[in-house]
Amino acid sequence: MKPLLIVLSFFIATSAVAQSKTVALPTSSSLVNVRIVFRTGAAMDPADKPGLANLTAAMLARGGTRDLTYKQIVDQMFPMAASVGAQVDQEMTTFHGSTHVDNLEAYYKLLRAMLLEPGWREDDFKRVKDEATNALLVGLRGNNDEELGKEMLYADLYAGTPYGHNGLGTHAGIEKITLDDLKAFYRQHYTQSNLIIGLAGGYPAASPDRVKKDFAALPEKDSSPTLAVNPAPIDHNRVEIVEKTSDSVAMSLGFPIDVKRGDPDYPALLVAQSYLGPHRLSSGRLFQRIREIRGLNYGDYAYIEYFPRGMFLFEPQPNLARRSQIFQIWIRPVPPDAASFTLRLAMFELNHFVTDGIPASDFEAAKEFAIKYVNVLTKTKDAELGYAIDSAFYGIPDYGTYIGTQVSKLTHDEVNAAIRKHLRADRLQIVAVGSNADTLKKQLTGEDPTTIHYNSAKAGDILEEDKVVEKWDLKLRPQDVEIVPVDKVLE
Amino acid sequence: MRHHYSSNSIRKFACRLIAAAMLLALSPISRLRAADDRAFPFPYVQEDLPNGLRLVTIPTDSQNLVSIYVVVQTGSRNEVEPGKTGFAHLFEHMMFRGTELYPPQKYDAVLTKAGAASNAFTTDDFTAFYTTFSKEDLSQILAMEADRFQNLDYAPEVFKTETGAVLGEFNKDSADPSFKLEEVLADTAFDNSTYKHTTMGFRKDVEDMPNQFDYSRQFFDRYYRPEYATIVVAGAVDPKVVRPLVDKYWGNWKRGSYQAAIPQEHAQNGPRENHVDWPGPTLPLVTIAYHGPAYSDTDKSWAALDALSTLAFSDTSDLYEKLVIREQRVDPLAADFAPHFDPGLFVISARVKHPEDIQYVRDQILATVKQYQTDLVPSQRLANVLAHERYGFALSLNNSQSVAVTAARFIALRRSPDTINKLFALYATLTPDDIRTAARKYLTDDERTIVTLTGKGGAQ
Repeated sequence: MKPLLIVLSFFIATSAVAQSKTVALPTSSSLVNVRIVFRTGAAMDPADKPGLANLTAAMLARGGTRDLTYKQIVDQMFPMAASVGAQVDQEMTTFHGSTHVDNLEAYYKLLRAMLLEPGWREDDFKRVKDEATNALLVGLRGNNDEELGKEMLYADLYAGTPYGHNGLGTHAGIEKITLDDLKAFYRQHYTQSNLIIGLAGGYPAASPDRVKKDFAALPEKDSSPTLAVNPAPIDHNRVEIVEKTSDSVAMSLGFPIDVKRGDPDYPALLVAQSYLGPHRLSSGRLFQRIREIRGLNYGDYAYIEYFPRGMFLFEPQPNLARRSQIFQIWIRPVPPDAASFTLRLAMFELNHFVTDGIPASDFEAAKEFAIKYVNVLTKTKDAELGYAIDSAFYGIPDYGTYIGTQVSKLTHDEVNAAIRKHLRADRLQIVAVGSNADTLKKQLTGEDPTTIHYNSAKAGDILEEDKVVEKWDLKLRPQDVEIVPVDKVLE
Repeated sequence: MRHHYSSNSIRKFACRLIAAAMLLALSPISRLRAADDRAFPFPYVQEDLPNGLRLVTIPTDSQNLVSIYVVVQTGSRNEVEPGKTGFAHLFEHMMFRGTELYPPQKYDAVLTKAGAASNAFTTDDFTAFYTTFSKEDLSQILAMEADRFQNLDYAPEVFKTETGAVLGEFNKDSADPSFKLEEVLADTAFDNSTYKHTTMGFRKDVEDMPNQFDYSRQFFDRYYRPEYATIVVAGAVDPKVVRPLVDKYWGNWKRGSYQAAIPQEHAQNGPRENHVDWPGPTLPLVTIAYHGPAYSDTDKSWAALDALSTLAFSDTSDLYEKLVIREQRVDPLAADFAPHFDPGLFVISARVKHPEDIQYVRDQILATVKQYQTDLVPSQRLANVLAHERYGFALSLNNSQSVAVTAARFIALRRSPDTINKLFALYATLTPDDIRTAARKYLTDDERTIVTLTGKGGAQ
């Protein structure tokens, strides 16, 4: 209808005094979306207390205020069908919610009290601590092999850096954290200088100023030193096998890239991602070769940005902005007897991709997908607001405009050059989660071909290709493969 | 685009989306603004083509996104012939098997270039196919969708391969105890209704699907006809532009003549019980179901029972606080009264932490039902529940795709989004007495079926 409207109404205001930022997307809708983002997160956890950022946010979102118990807050929100959600990543902590404009005043009062006047009650603290421990040990380590594999990949690649632990923290870290630690973290990092206020929808014109004024009650500055995230180089392919009882093997592999939104090669790598295939794109190269033709698993995808909770989501959530990103391939669980073959196939495909780039015949489609899929990514006002906040973090125009202008300009050669420059098929970290780790290790490091048996007939060219794949050299020596029992990780 | 899901997964979240209510006068929070009084606030255009196809175009405030849902009013409810259950769902799969003009690879390539999200699902009452994409591809997507609805073409080998995938899906679902429970509940509670089988169908019929190529063509010929279909186009669209495109691509679709004689259920006349012995370790499940009324936007019964499911069994209910939070014997507890074309089941289910509590939990649920037949619910509590449903519904309409899918679900019942506003107007008139009257009329011992499930060793 009016494509320019978003660009015109999108503005970022920075006050000279308080330094908080406001991202506002006014519309005539009767719904209002709120995102209150603090540029802090798990990367600021003290070394001996991983999980502090997450517990602090959980305590605000799922605890009482100075004047209200948590139960009273839930009861007041129920007739509005509203709630406050919290999301903690390495560099961003986000509180988000939606309300009908009828209830905006009541909702905002609750939200404001939750974020500015926390109750810090012991019984709330005990509950959110239990929740965090269960999310880490039961939800992630116990029941979600794919997510565990992805998170271990990040932990391995960023070991020794501020990103070195999962956003939820570690078991020992959570145990050690006290209520006083939460209060100190809140005072230190929940500041105006870290704050981005996001509002979208049919709120009154005065709302952004009012929120800004209210949140000026927060301390002005965060005195923490600037974050430095420099992952160590990898000199050789390496594998971590997390051994646990499971009927299948989940795998992830990747390496850090020096490219994030706003960097010159980001648009080109986004086209590369579109060709390899993000989640659910059944025409993606990886999906086609691994699932569609060979039926080895449910799907296979590639990403150039962090994408947690992927098995529950069709699209990545916003406000996971980071100064350092990785390239990763996500191989959904495969039967154990197909694990080493599937890994070889993924490595074979990656090698092929890095060497030859995107075929000319597929280039335009990959470009068009990258440009147009932004509309799906930002289909809700809430997602659009989240992307606008991320754009403020990265210092780029609104995401749709940025991708639209930058990607459409790209030539085939430019994209393939960026692929050769930033992507590679060696010096990778690989993580596998599953049982029979010793057998898998032998298959990955041994010289015997790992043949694959299908339960239906396959075309001749595929069987020919399989003969190459089954012997594909993973360049792994026994010392490159580490086996870790599952109860030792995230401890 | 081969990521289908059938009614079983859909039903679990659909009920909350659709369940909705309003009671302005009693609402403790401010009144809805006059302009937003209609629950479905979008100015839509509804048109019928000469061949019987219906088009509903819904402009939203989206700048560039369009979501198309093609609703076929054929679900497992239409599977009336013995030995042929599960075909509506199988057909959802077959619709991705291509035409002469658009073989699967070409179909996928168009969707890729359109940056589209696409999928399909089947329920008891309908099958829906959707594509969400950028507005400039509207003409191409409408043409491609029109092609597969009219010219679907697949070889016997392709059909066989896909029946294997459907059996695989059946097996995957069967690994879930709650699917088995749902299957046994439907089979126990119903005698004549086609709701006796789940959307997946009876296992023996699913296993026999590879031999039913000819029947599959007949199924397509009967039901994939314009008089069964409604196209919903929501988002950055102009109805004046959409109509000529639909005329052009869908106008030649030939009307059919088939009408299934769908049997009606008789009164149950006495409580029933059944039990499932699950072969593996799992937590016990207790399900208590009652025959309820069909969906209606004029009679209060369906709306009253839907409100009752939240009042009595949702996470703010007294029973939830007792069993889940205080005593910690159950997790989770929920009730579901999904809208159905024919009379469906009001289902209360609980997962019990310890097998020795099964009888206790069952008694507590039955006592709660009794209580709603005896006492009047406090009007403030009813007001809060109805406000919650009303605002939850409003908040769910937050993008073109959710606007389209919500319209599609109601179109499956009454073939028009108008029924949403009628339903919400009905909710607005609900009183505590309506809730009690509905509980007394429908939640009776004679119409009750209880199914329990226990695992090997009885626990986890």
